[in-house]
Amino acid sequence: MAEWTEVNFGPQHPSMHGVLRLRVKLDGEIVKEVEPIIGYLHRNAEKIGELQFYCDNMIYFDRMDYVAAMNMEVGYLEAAEKLLDIEVPERAQWIRVMMAELNRIASHLVWLGAFGLDLGMLTPFFYCFKEREKILKIFTEVSGSRQQLNYMSIGGVYQDVTDEALDHIRTFIKEFPKELNKIESLFVKNDVFISRTKGIGVLSKEMAIDYGVTGPMLRASGVEYDVRKAQPYLVYDKVNFDIPVSFKGDNLARFLVRVEEMRQSIKIIDQTVQKLPAGPYFNQKAKKPLMIRLRGQGEVYARTESPKGEFGVYLIGDGSLRPYRVRVRSPTFKNLSVLPALAKDQMIADLISIGGSIDLVFGEVDR
Amino acid sequence: MNILTRLQLFFQITGHYASYFLAYIFETIFFLIFVVIALIAMIYIFRKYMARLQLRIGPNRVGKFGLLQLIADALKLVGKESIIPKLRDDFAYKAAPYIVFIGLVVGFVLIPYGSFYWIGSLTITHSNVSLILFFGAIAMMPIGEVLAGISSHNKYAVIGAFRGIAKDVSFEVPMMISAVALVMMDSALSRTPLNFETLVSTQFIPFGILQPLGLFVFMVAMIARSSYTPFDLAESDSEIVSGYSTEYSGMRFGLFYMGMFGSIFLGSLVVSLLYLGGFNGPYSSYAGFVYLLIKGLILVLISFLIWLSMPRIRVDRFINFGWKILLPISIINLIWAGFLTLGVIS
Repeated sequence: MAEWTEVNFGPQHPSMHGVLRLRVKLDGEIVKEVEPIIGYLHRNAEKIGELQFYCDNMIYFDRMDYVAAMNMEVGYLEAAEKLLDIEVPERAQWIRVMMAELNRIASHLVWLGAFGLDLGMLTPFFYCFKEREKILKIFTEVSGSRQQLNYMSIGGVYQDVTDEALDHIRTFIKEFPKELNKIESLFVKNDVFISRTKGIGVLSKEMAIDYGVTGPMLRASGVEYDVRKAQPYLVYDKVNFDIPVSFKGDNLARFLVRVEEMRQSIKIIDQTVQKLPAGPYFNQKAKKPLMIRLRGQGEVYARTESPKGEFGVYLIGDGSLRPYRVRVRSPTFKNLSVLPALAKDQMIADLISIGGSIDLVFGEVDR
Repeated sequence: MNILTRLQLFFQITGHYASYFLAYIFETIFFLIFVVIALIAMIYIFRKYMARLQLRIGPNRVGKFGLLQLIADALKLVGKESIIPKLRDDFAYKAAPYIVFIGLVVGFVLIPYGSFYWIGSLTITHSNVSLILFFGAIAMMPIGEVLAGISSHNKYAVIGAFRGIAKDVSFEVPMMISAVALVMMDSALSRTPLNFETLVSTQFIPFGILQPLGLFVFMVAMIARSSYTPFDLAESDSEIVSGYSTEYSGMRFGLFYMGMFGSIFLGSLVVSLLYLGGFNGPYSSYAGFVYLLIKGLILVLISFLIWLSMPRIRVDRFINFGWKILLPISIINLIWAGFLTLGVIS
């Protein structure tokens, strides 16, 4: 048996996303074994969640998937509001959908730029971040901060969306598709990019289901499953959008599915801006000082579609002010588990590009 | 009259041999200053160009328009502590950056620069076999890279070095074959076909028009030689940290960096000399150098555009590309050059 070289990729490797560490066994250029080692960003968010009031948990969920904080908030609030039995006013629901979709675009843009960097393309990264900056500006306008937003709260949102912010969102959704086409053509019209992604890291449909892969990765493998359609939450049943699906299951399919998802998000945001009803933006029952007195009883599991996949939150309340148990089903963690199988017997370069195509955010994997 | 004879006349009071000695030394010093200034200017252009392409501003703080940024960076690199790994092959580790840099400088010495205004010919080395010497000199640079990778006893560096070997072997053969095609054509036109300068001055029609395939192969080989993004296999930063230069820091790393940018410039100059007519043009005895520089700069900008817009090619695909595409193309080009030569002779 040939002797294999053991190499560490990460946690300080320049191209690893966040703090992923891969222990890789190499036979020359061929990857023989990959073992992801996680936990470098573990912050105990689940345990901390048990120690504080229901409304305080929001900031810890913001810091899970820090590039898609709005989606994390939506995920937590879906569970918390079900447990605490709080109704969300119509307007707040539409605002939540709008913000979640904006953040989905931002998250996919970060992924797109980072994927380019993984393949050695420097330039598209900046184009992606320029577009993301526009979204962050909108977030600053509505919530006051750029990334760790803490915008939504139990029973609604922290503050109303002003007309000015709506105008900015309108201009964004008008301009963005053109810019997206430009960015996409930078990738798709490049032969070397196609050769680096087409047929690389093929994830079959059965394997994707077996590993519990969700989100764009699952849809790129040919399974038409999206929580927004399968089990609509908020007002996703009132908006019109499609689920992009590809049957190839390779890196290119994952790329195309994510790009198409951004277009669908634009479509959803467009509808939310048009249909945004007037009315209160938070529930009076969960007003500021009353918020901490909310008591939850029973157990709930709520699932939402985060940009990375199915984000599930499981809460148990024992009738006290604090949750008895908080548990998160992190999509990236499940998606990462498929990497060793996909990267086996591939080249080093493909290991990096497959790892990049998973869309890893370590705040969420390690929690 | 060229710069060497002018210097020799200036130092004539010191005697015949001493004056030649001094003239050579001063010429080399002038020349090194030129190379360094050209490199600094090129890195500045690269940064500004890259910044413009990437919606950034680029250096604009040190000096007017950030012109002194590169000098500040160089001083920083010199002043930095050179961290050296404990387990190293000491001599090879220390010699490797110099081998790369010396290969580059010798390459610059051996190419002709045309003539400029009253200075006359700027060519430094006059040899009848300067083409062969040039290819020998730039073949030194991969040796330095491989030595660097192996001697630093780092797994990433070793992988980078092996990739470097695979890359160099697969593009240098087609490159040399397309160079042979040039020499073949030139042998029908002049008596010293291996001299760089005659090779350029016999191009009444640029060889790039006569041998477009050769131009393609040579250009790709030069891109691969300078190892930037589509072919930066040996130091691909997203895969193997920094490849062969992983364990280098301070000025030793600076030498590799200079070697990389220098070989982009050198490659562009050589392509414009061999295939685009170099310093030929109207009033070339006065402005030949300017023609060369403009052609070289255009090629440099094209290289930068390729660098900034392409993803990295995979190593096995590059080797396939070298042996299965570039090599047949260069052989076809050689046959085509043979027909052209026959036409010229008859």
